[in-house]
Amino acid sequence: MTTTASPSDPLLALSGVNTFYGQAQVHFDLSISVARGHIVCLLGGNASGKSTTMKIILGLVKPRSGDVTFDGASLLGLSTPQIVRRGIASVPEARRLFADMSVRENILMGAFVRSDRAAVAQDLERMLALFPKLGQRLSQRAGSLSGGEQQMVAMARALMSRPRMIVMDEPTMGLSPLYVDRVLELIGTINQEGVSVFMVEQNASLALEIAHEAYVLQTGRIVLSGPARALKDDPRVRDAYLGGSEAA
Amino acid sequence: MSSWLDYTINGLIVGNVYALVAVGLALIFGVSRLINFAQGSIYLVGAYIGWVAVVQLHTPLPLTIIVVALAAALVGLIIERFGLRPLQNSARIAPLLATIGISFVLDQIVMLTFSPNPRALPSQLPDVRFQVGNGTIGPLDLLIAGVGLTSALLLFVFLRYSKLGWAVRATAQDRDAAMQMGVDVNRVNQAVFGIAAALGGVSGMLVGMYYNQIDTAMSLQATLKGVVAEVVGGAGNVPGAVVGSLLLGLVESYGVAVFGTSYRNLFAFLLLVLVLVLRPNGLFASARQAPPEPLTGTFIAPSRPVRIPRWALLIAVGGFAILPLFPVSFYVLQTLINAWLLGMLALSLTLVAGTIGQVSLGHAALLAIGAYTSALLSSSFSVPVGLAVIAGGLMSAALGTTLISPSFRLRGHYVSIATLAIGEIVSLVILNWESVTRGPIGISGIPPLSLFGYDLISASSVYWFSFAVMVVLALLQGRLLNSHLGRSFRAIRDDDIAARAYGLSLNRYKSLAFIFGGFAAGVSGAIAAHLYSYINHETFNTQQSILALTVVILGGLGNVVGAVVGSVALVGLPEVFRIAAEYRILIYGIVLLLLVRFRPQGLLGTI
Repeated sequence: MTTTASPSDPLLALSGVNTFYGQAQVHFDLSISVARGHIVCLLGGNASGKSTTMKIILGLVKPRSGDVTFDGASLLGLSTPQIVRRGIASVPEARRLFADMSVRENILMGAFVRSDRAAVAQDLERMLALFPKLGQRLSQRAGSLSGGEQQMVAMARALMSRPRMIVMDEPTMGLSPLYVDRVLELIGTINQEGVSVFMVEQNASLALEIAHEAYVLQTGRIVLSGPARALKDDPRVRDAYLGGSEAA
Repeated sequence: MSSWLDYTINGLIVGNVYALVAVGLALIFGVSRLINFAQGSIYLVGAYIGWVAVVQLHTPLPLTIIVVALAAALVGLIIERFGLRPLQNSARIAPLLATIGISFVLDQIVMLTFSPNPRALPSQLPDVRFQVGNGTIGPLDLLIAGVGLTSALLLFVFLRYSKLGWAVRATAQDRDAAMQMGVDVNRVNQAVFGIAAALGGVSGMLVGMYYNQIDTAMSLQATLKGVVAEVVGGAGNVPGAVVGSLLLGLVESYGVAVFGTSYRNLFAFLLLVLVLVLRPNGLFASARQAPPEPLTGTFIAPSRPVRIPRWALLIAVGGFAILPLFPVSFYVLQTLINAWLLGMLALSLTLVAGTIGQVSLGHAALLAIGAYTSALLSSSFSVPVGLAVIAGGLMSAALGTTLISPSFRLRGHYVSIATLAIGEIVSLVILNWESVTRGPIGISGIPPLSLFGYDLISASSVYWFSFAVMVVLALLQGRLLNSHLGRSFRAIRDDDIAARAYGLSLNRYKSLAFIFGGFAAGVSGAIAAHLYSYINHETFNTQQSILALTVVILGGLGNVVGAVVGSVALVGLPEVFRIAAEYRILIYGIVLLLLVRFRPQGLLGTI
């Protein structure tokens, strides 16, 4: 296993996490860290434990042992809303928009933890500048948008809480190639504004394009990790993921 | 003579009252995917708080409404915090059963505090009626309409413009995603229960004033009507619940106009069954709406059953079999006969609810069908009682299965609602079909049990007869559970989609379970009829359905020995401790609540 040369003070760190669903163990001694200002990508195939890692960070699933820290403080024992208030926003798998609420209401739901109304209104304008297509859709039911448009809403919604970090679960899944490029570009933009990104992806070649570091998860264990550039050329990643995932 | 306009006004007013209950149910269902069977009890509590305020404290009307709303909201908050929140991570059946237990406890507390006798609840409004077209309308009608419209408006503003209202809507649409936006779901639940309870309480008070009478039977009726209206409008759909309520009010009112008062509830439940069968997502559900139940069976708590050695069972059976040879009192035998009869019902329900996972709340209807069949055959057609009892079992099996069969495609909570409604329909048909059932008069002079020409009069002979029947049914059911058929039943319970993918026909297996279960329950009802010698449409009521469910959960869902142990415990222990009859239902409710909270797998474990 290669060790990552990570900055001394990561923003998010999972250390020695073991997770179980009943009798079945999902994570084996999982350790991941996300440096401030970086994009970190977790790669892995089906049933590797990727989505559960997201749920651990968000407090939706509790690990049996190990620790999760954000900005030096443990997140264990906090509820999901409390974790969100610490500055972690999420773009869940398959977007999970509030389908019967309008696009505007969906985006504003992202600012649920904030009470500075004037600044929220300004941020809404900022989102419309970042995602110009959403401007005409504001009063439409979120459920009536296309998959790509929904992904835009989900990203805008996550940004509305002014997070220090965004976690994304398969942000490119099920999108047309055009939207895949757009989403990756936006992740880069968001990151340049100072938001750290932790994303879970199946599409390794795309994810490694934009990530700083990456981890490869296989049946609950980290089997490879390091700078994205290095992993991209690593034959083991190529064999395991790049070949197969292009088709998927 | 009232005009059709009067019936329309009456229907809309009654619909308004239902809407206050149904909107609360819809809010709760939206947020927690739970049918709150305690909603009617809050309505009852509201009516009695209103009575205390008006009759004893002489509060003016606006203050009465505020007092009732606040007090009822408090009850709702207590239910949410102490009854339901601890169950958040339990099997999905747990909160449903908890609300049933809570409703029993609340109803009994009200009954013990205020006595079961009806009381008058004056409205304090002037008794005048205004002519409108060819109908009339009174101040109370206007008050109810006003409260209904104001509540709807306030609720709309709350949901549309307040932060908490947004949280409620977001949680209803996607609970996990709402949490990831920072929504505290517990606060949302609290808000929803508080609002639902306030509306329900005010509704109870208004109804009390409308009929100038309140009594403890209001509770179950209100829950049933609210559930009907909510399901008609589409579970979890708040505007749908309002429209469903008005529709229900009108259907009932016109039904009464054409057929008479005793048909009111029949129309309500027929409407419910029709909607459940034809449009289970309600009249206004959008096609995109996600199925309201999880696709896999998380409804029953899994557990490891307690193994009882064969010799211990044989000793127990032998011991109970020779009991009448010893000088035991008539009272002990009588108590155990009741336990064996309840045991047959519990066997039936543990098969249907536990083994194949269809939590029935209308099992008493199977008793009634068996009882009426056997009673009528033996008294009107002189069929030998032994044969009539068997015919009762067969009739329950056939009719019960036929009645429930349109609901076979429903899942989870919807099965419970459908069975509850079908149970009520059976009781209402018995009440109204006078040419056959003799209607409200009931059937008297039912001949005693007899076998091959010998009357079973003595307590010990009745004891032996009922014990033997129960043991035979239990043995058959035990064999069934260990067979391939039993495994298929459990497969359907645990994951009906996977079971279907393996080629199991849900309709066939559900039918088989209901046929077997219907027979056992029918025989139990038939024997009971011959013991009581008099039955009417209220002999076998919802309370018995719920008692049987408590027994089954106490023993462990699907557990044959557990069903019998549970029956002996729930019938026997109150006798041992000499608990007065009026406290028993309260005890059953508390037992149900404690079980759901601390031992959902029951005494002997689910199978």
